[in-house]
Amino acid sequence: MSEKKQQVSRRQFLNYTLTGVGGFMAAGMLAPMLRMAVDPVLKPSAAGDFVNVGLAVEDITTEPQRVDWLVEQVDGWYESEVSRSAWVFKDENDNIKALSPICKHLGCVVSWEGSEDYPNEFFCPCHDGRYYKDGTNVPNTPPLEPLDEYEQKVENGMLFLGMAKPRGEA
Amino acid sequence: MKWIKKDLQQYINAKEYVDTIIMPLSPYHLSKDNDLGKNAFQREVLSVFTKEIETELTGRVMLIPTYHYLKNTNKQDEISRINEWVHDAETQPFQQTFFITFDSSWKKYENELEGTLLWFPSMHSGDFQSKEMHSFIRDQVSEVVDLIRSYW
Repeated sequence: MSEKKQQVSRRQFLNYTLTGVGGFMAAGMLAPMLRMAVDPVLKPSAAGDFVNVGLAVEDITTEPQRVDWLVEQVDGWYESEVSRSAWVFKDENDNIKALSPICKHLGCVVSWEGSEDYPNEFFCPCHDGRYYKDGTNVPNTPPLEPLDEYEQKVENGMLFLGMAKPRGEA
Repeated sequence: MKWIKKDLQQYINAKEYVDTIIMPLSPYHLSKDNDLGKNAFQREVLSVFTKEIETELTGRVMLIPTYHYLKNTNKQDEISRINEWVHDAETQPFQQTFFITFDSSWKKYENELEGTLLWFPSMHSGDFQSKEMHSFIRDQVSEVVDLIRSYW
């Protein structure tokens, strides 16, 4: 630094300020555009549609257990938390299965061994609908389709569930 | 099912499967400052509670709009109006009606209501978002569901 006080000319000063302000405005405009361009890449990692349901994989047994969790849902007027449930168990091949408890007949909630008369089956209390353990509907009971199955993944030993999909799509 | 357009379309196609009415009874008033908070809170709980019951038994019950009445009103008048609602539902036909309330004053008039009165003591205040509240309501709901099933 020279000891002499540096003289800034009027032209220089204006140049600096205009470049500065102009650059600032350009950055302000570009940043959101950039953000938009990158956004689809960021989204899945941000939250995805998968939710930690608070069940460790090692706690999953061959006996179906019910898990309940909350998901944020924006529904036009309301932003609310809705509760979801699933019956989670390991099938004979040691694969984790997460079945939706919503009966495919009229939407009641089925429960595992919900009737003493039908062990090893899911039972719907409303109209005696029944499903085998793998979710397939028992013929000649009201439901006409198998139970929906949740998309799932395992991270850090915890179970994450996504959307319930009709059988065949999951 | 609830009394909303989406559910009613399904109901119309499946009337023979839906035979049970759930009618929440909830007091309303603006006087008596001391009771306001308590009764408003109980109304909120009742609404969550009945919705949860409906969720469990969607395919066979119809949760109709809550019947509101002034807290200190003449119960006889209300009873005849409630029974009118019941008669209207019975023409559809619905077989069963359950009245669900936290207001103990209905207990005395239980016999005059044309349906089954389920009165539950409720808390006066609390935190809706808390884990305890969730599990409390969930447990109560499963008990009530069992009770309703025993009538089918």
